[in-house]
Amino acid sequence: MVPTVFGVILITFLLFYAVGGSPSSVALGKNATPQALEEFDEQRGFNKPLFAGLWTRTRALPDVDFTKGTGTWAGTRGLEEVWSGNEKGFARLAGGHSYRPPLAFGLRPGTTYRLRVVCRSPDGASLRVRSGVAGTGPASRIGGGWAEVVFPFAAGGEGPLEVEVSRGRVEIRSMALQRKVRHVLDSQLVHFLGRLAHWDLGESIATNQKVTTMLRRGVGPSLLLTVPVFAGELALSLSLALICAYFRDRWPDRMLVLVSVALMSVNYLIWIIFGQFFLAYKLQWFPIWGMESWRNLLLPVGIGIVSAMGANLRFYRTIMLDEMYKDYVRTAFAKGRGPAGVLFGHVLPNAMIPVITNTVIAIPFLYTGSLLLESFFGIPGLGGMSVNAIHSSDVEVVRGVVLVGALLYVAASLISDVCYAVADPRVKLR
Amino acid sequence: MNANGNQGQSLWQSAWAQLRRRRLVRGCLWVLAAFFAVALYGETMHQWYRFKDETPPYQRVDLQKRYLPPSLFRGPLAQAADGTAPGLLTVVSRLSHHPLGTDNLGRDVLQRTVQGARIAFLVGVVTSLIAIPIGVVLGCLAGYFGRWVDDLVVWLYTTVACMPGLLFVLAIAMVVGKGLTGIYVGIGLTTWVGLCRLVRGEVMKHRERAYVMAARSLGYSPWRIIFRHILPNVFHIIIITFSLRFPAAIGTEVFMSFLGIGVQGEPSWGVMVSNARLRLWQGVWWEMTAVTAVIVVVVLAFNLVGDALRDALDPRLKSQD
Repeated sequence: MVPTVFGVILITFLLFYAVGGSPSSVALGKNATPQALEEFDEQRGFNKPLFAGLWTRTRALPDVDFTKGTGTWAGTRGLEEVWSGNEKGFARLAGGHSYRPPLAFGLRPGTTYRLRVVCRSPDGASLRVRSGVAGTGPASRIGGGWAEVVFPFAAGGEGPLEVEVSRGRVEIRSMALQRKVRHVLDSQLVHFLGRLAHWDLGESIATNQKVTTMLRRGVGPSLLLTVPVFAGELALSLSLALICAYFRDRWPDRMLVLVSVALMSVNYLIWIIFGQFFLAYKLQWFPIWGMESWRNLLLPVGIGIVSAMGANLRFYRTIMLDEMYKDYVRTAFAKGRGPAGVLFGHVLPNAMIPVITNTVIAIPFLYTGSLLLESFFGIPGLGGMSVNAIHSSDVEVVRGVVLVGALLYVAASLISDVCYAVADPRVKLR
Repeated sequence: MNANGNQGQSLWQSAWAQLRRRRLVRGCLWVLAAFFAVALYGETMHQWYRFKDETPPYQRVDLQKRYLPPSLFRGPLAQAADGTAPGLLTVVSRLSHHPLGTDNLGRDVLQRTVQGARIAFLVGVVTSLIAIPIGVVLGCLAGYFGRWVDDLVVWLYTTVACMPGLLFVLAIAMVVGKGLTGIYVGIGLTTWVGLCRLVRGEVMKHRERAYVMAARSLGYSPWRIIFRHILPNVFHIIIITFSLRFPAAIGTEVFMSFLGIGVQGEPSWGVMVSNARLRLWQGVWWEMTAVTAVIVVVVLAFNLVGDALRDALDPRLKSQD
């Protein structure tokens, strides 16, 4: 239980933070300034190290790799680009000058930064980083071969960032600026866990609403749709499965099996499109779209039941068949109980355990609603909301729905264990 | 002993014989063969036009030919002046270029459906190539080594099983990026759990069998025992899983492309359904009918063959008869 909860949180984190990265460019658009992006990340904790660590990236100075091109450094005064034949490109800085890396915005005063420079100097020049008035780091001598040199410094108040070359010349391959975070565990993971502990799932990028509020608002319509589907489908497929088992290998059974395979093979989408087109639009039996009265729910619920029934009917049929040929069934028939009494009074309770596993486990998925049904029929539930969020790349909302759905699933599997013990006296909870 | 009573047959031979005996299954196998052939043809066309650097015919926009309804012949087949039926040559020369009609941009529905078959096939195969190795390797390791390896694998698949199905696939595809890659990764990384569970259970049983003991006492390495000795004995599970997950993957692709998260700019079945749905209200029924009919037939054939395979290969079900 606890490891699974941890695993669910970890998977969500890996998917949306490590793989997905910061949604800032999606939220702010392509033309956002680096400063705005940095502020967005700062608010949502995306500018911290992923798991743990002291140093993190900053958007103030984009990493530059002179072997690939000068990037934002193009036009820096005094910088000489060298592209020699057998060596990859590098930038040459002549001695006795200061150079200003093209910062996108000012560094935070008082914060520790470091500049990682891959460089060499044929004549033993030394390099020093200067930031504002107060923030001057120590000078260090550069060797003759390519090596990475790290220059830590505290950012001073006013004034630009300068790289000072004492004498001779320094050749640079790449440069990266990093910011020091408060402590090793000041990371995205810890930030994420901390917000989760306060039940804070962030804010929607598209609407700026709190995700928790959106979840609370959407869960009602979703349940109005999925609970009737669930209950109706369960009752219907259990009854039909019992009929199948009773008529095993005779025509009602064969027909129902064939029907269930056919139902399984028709895509959900097709049910919805044809149902909406013919039953709602052409025949006008049902309203087409919206959520005004209970009549709006009839068609989606019907479609949900029909399309979910195929797979479950077959599954329940196998279970019922297992029970059907046991001795107690023969005894029940022998003592004169009718088919309905035997099926519903004897077979069904004994077949309950696999049924319970299958159903209780499905309950948490009711909460996410039905992605397609809701967006097709305009039901303002979580399913339609998730589809919209995925369309607009609203990562925070999708993450919230996925995470809460998964946590509910964990809870449901615990509950189904309890249900076992209630349904089957042989099972004892430890 | 199987129902055949034929002692010389291997499991595979008897399964094949059982499949062929049933007429429905035989028909389905033909449908699947046709599907593979069409997909292969679609792939050849796709590669050929990419090689020639031309717009393929299934993407060619021709606004003159919008909304052509399906027809066998171009125009009415005029009878000859003396009232006799037209000659064979006339009939052939008047055969329609667009037997299934055209869509809102004048693109041929038949050719687009063929391309859809190609993409559906790709999705089924590639997602299987991702999901099946993960499920088999993890299941074998967990079942054979037990202890902490088992705990780890069980934890992993329990966790993945907790994620809410289609939404999780969509989320992965959204994060990885829209397009076929997103579909492959999304479906591939989420559908290995069932297979892993089955393989783990089977391998656990086989671990205690005499032949594994013998192999172990001969000093074979665990890898050799798992992949050379045990794996062939659980291979039928992989075949059954493959045949049953293929249609599921096709269905999921249709969903994803329909929602606009899947295939971009290529005529997959989902894209066609999404396109045709808007035209349905204008009375353009043929594109929707063609696509849905093809999807249903292919998926139904896969499901029936998969079921028959399971009946034929899974000894547990066989023993009940």
